[in-house]
Amino acid sequence: MRSSLRRAVLTVAISGTVVLVGCDNTITSSEALPPLQAASLDSAAGSWRMIVLSGPTQFAVAAPAAETSAAYTAELTAIEATQSKLTAAQRSSIEYWAGGGVLRWNQIVRELVARFNLPPAPRPDGTYPVPDPENPFADPQFPFANPPYAARAYSYVAVAQYEALKAAWYWKYQYHRRSPAGVDNGITALMPVSDLPAYPSEDAVLSGVTVELLKVLFPAGVAEITQRAAEQRNAALWSGKAAASDIAAGLALGKAVAAVFVSRAGADGLRNAAGTPAQWQALADSAMARGEIPWISQESPPRPPMLPNFGRLQAWLMTPTEVATERPPAPPSTSSDQMRQELAEVRHTVEHLSRDQLAIAYEWNDGAGSYTPPGHWNDIAAEYIRDARMSEVRAARAFALLNMAMQDAAVGCWGVKYLYFNPRPVQLDPSIKTVIGLPNFPAYPSGHSTFSAAAATVLSYLFPQATPAFATMRDAASISRLYGGIHYRSDIERGKEHGARIGGYAVRFAQQDGAN
Amino acid sequence: MVALSAALRAQAVNDGLLMPRGALGTSLLYTHERWSQYWEGSLKRDNGNIGTVTTQSVTWVAGYGVTDRLSVMAMLPYVWTHATQGPLHGMDGLQDVTLAAKYQLLSTPFTDRGTLRAMVVGVAGIPASTYVPDFLPLSIGLASRQFSGRFTLHFQAHRGWFLTGSSAYTWRSKVTLDRPAYFTNGQLYLSDEVAMPNVFDYTVTAGYQHGRLCIPISLSQQRTQGGSDIRRQDMPFVSNRMDFVRVGGLVMYTLPAPRELGIRLGMSRVVSGRNVGQATTLQTGLFYTFHL
Repeated sequence: MRSSLRRAVLTVAISGTVVLVGCDNTITSSEALPPLQAASLDSAAGSWRMIVLSGPTQFAVAAPAAETSAAYTAELTAIEATQSKLTAAQRSSIEYWAGGGVLRWNQIVRELVARFNLPPAPRPDGTYPVPDPENPFADPQFPFANPPYAARAYSYVAVAQYEALKAAWYWKYQYHRRSPAGVDNGITALMPVSDLPAYPSEDAVLSGVTVELLKVLFPAGVAEITQRAAEQRNAALWSGKAAASDIAAGLALGKAVAAVFVSRAGADGLRNAAGTPAQWQALADSAMARGEIPWISQESPPRPPMLPNFGRLQAWLMTPTEVATERPPAPPSTSSDQMRQELAEVRHTVEHLSRDQLAIAYEWNDGAGSYTPPGHWNDIAAEYIRDARMSEVRAARAFALLNMAMQDAAVGCWGVKYLYFNPRPVQLDPSIKTVIGLPNFPAYPSGHSTFSAAAATVLSYLFPQATPAFATMRDAASISRLYGGIHYRSDIERGKEHGARIGGYAVRFAQQDGAN
Repeated sequence: MVALSAALRAQAVNDGLLMPRGALGTSLLYTHERWSQYWEGSLKRDNGNIGTVTTQSVTWVAGYGVTDRLSVMAMLPYVWTHATQGPLHGMDGLQDVTLAAKYQLLSTPFTDRGTLRAMVVGVAGIPASTYVPDFLPLSIGLASRQFSGRFTLHFQAHRGWFLTGSSAYTWRSKVTLDRPAYFTNGQLYLSDEVAMPNVFDYTVTAGYQHGRLCIPISLSQQRTQGGSDIRRQDMPFVSNRMDFVRVGGLVMYTLPAPRELGIRLGMSRVVSGRNVGQATTLQTGLFYTFHL
């Protein structure tokens, strides 16, 4: 009896140890991007409809030197020399950027958002400092890349890249200059080099347009951003994809286009989005005048509401009138039976969560410190764009459509949130506890639901075969807020409807932009 | 008597004691830990959105003397957490099941004052439920599978004094989150898997045993071999560098009758730390030994 017990105990102890052996502790930090071999050159992209630029010729690109010129020959010789002594670091840089500039920059922007998506810490006196774009390295760092800020940042980068690439495509097919690897047998194509004309270099266009916007959007990230941009241009050069003059022309075009967007960003209304204490009080007074319970910050110390004037920002594809007319109806009154029932539903849900429901709440949490819900949808879109092997300009179009819709969703949703200034469930019933962080802005309607419905609408247009998958993700992202204990069902339902209507604007634009 | 009290005391992976052959000791421990200040990286602060965080647990522990040189142990805690302020929901559930084997390498008279023992301990831990590790500080654990290799030196003086030094290196497996991306170590990881840094710890314990009473006091330190600090005003993350120094004391008392029953009462306090709460811990428990 004793010895058999001993044997059993030993067996358990040993097998418990064996379970742990062989733990591989390496994590692949980014989505794998195979070298981009575009399914199509999209040679007509120079005629696709512009969004902000007047047309592809708004910025002229001078004709390049002939392939037979001495200057160009010297450029080719320089590439040959570099290729003959490439370092491992240079090869790894080529491999990285071969995955596609648009996809890589989208990853980088998601990383920047996650890095800067932290709210300011309170001061000892209970007030909160405001992130200062003139002093971005201080505490608090600038920006606080919260969901509306992030939606705007993703959209500026995506739209500016798209416009710059359309212009680049126009000039490429004006001049038809070949890539160095195509001209010179002594130069090896170290990343896929297609028949796409090399002048101006699309990699340099992307580098130039993106770096200038990111410097404005994430000024504290300037060192890393500048380095990445230079690396992208070098990778194009070293790989035999573009010559120095292709790159110089591309960089200049990219920066010229960026200036248009930097100027728009300076005047789009973000500057005043945080509002003033008098405006915050007016929001509460207005709710009370309507007989409603106004939203109150549940943070300790109470934090000013997140970007109350963001709803007044300039949308991409909607006029201010359209922003207003697409709004959902008012939420149930805070004193209505419906609100009482919805509050009870939140309480019951959060106290009876299954593990699967918890998983959905955390999968879609996308809270502070994350790349936000718009970043999550970029994450999703990136895989479809990669798998479709889209050309750089078509990939930029996909991200532009997606992110214009989500920025317009942010503008639309924030406008409604501060129109009604509706309290969170926790405020109406302090016995409710949340399993995710409680956002510091009014409840109605749900931002996740609005973003997700807008995104799913656009992605379903771009990738119709995956429409059911996008619908599933949209519904999971939306209902995750009820599971989290931070939204009523009305917030979610009206948010989804609102988001789908806003996404429709991007779809209608895409249906007639000449890219189909 | 000595054998029995050793059985009652040999209840932790880092003590210097073995269960006598054929003895099965089991205990039920209640632990109450609370903190209102924590270290955000190296910055000590409080946070009005959580107030005081309390973690309570009930742990079942069993130890069995397989031979006079080999003991095996098992532990399973049920944990629940609570924050006194703010909207965040506490969590509860079965945490990690731990299995350990202690093997005595040597036991030898050392000077004319006592006996020196050396032992190695292998400890394996694995989550006993599918709890969420991504809601710190209210998660009940880190959900990593772990294996520790531990070495312990124990000197038992003839007059009741003892001194124990124990040190371990713990390998920790990746943790899988419910989300597809996270930011740590200054970068965005587009993965649901988190690499967990390994952990080094040591404990020095001095104590006195007389009759039915045993009073050890200890100093222990944990140093995580990597991981990043909590960012300014961010939530803690599962792979943060969690370091601390803790001091504590314990009183263990074996009842006159029944002699198989003992009680324990302990207290400890974190005196310095990084990415952890400055916890004060109270522990009480009952233990009972069977002779098979």
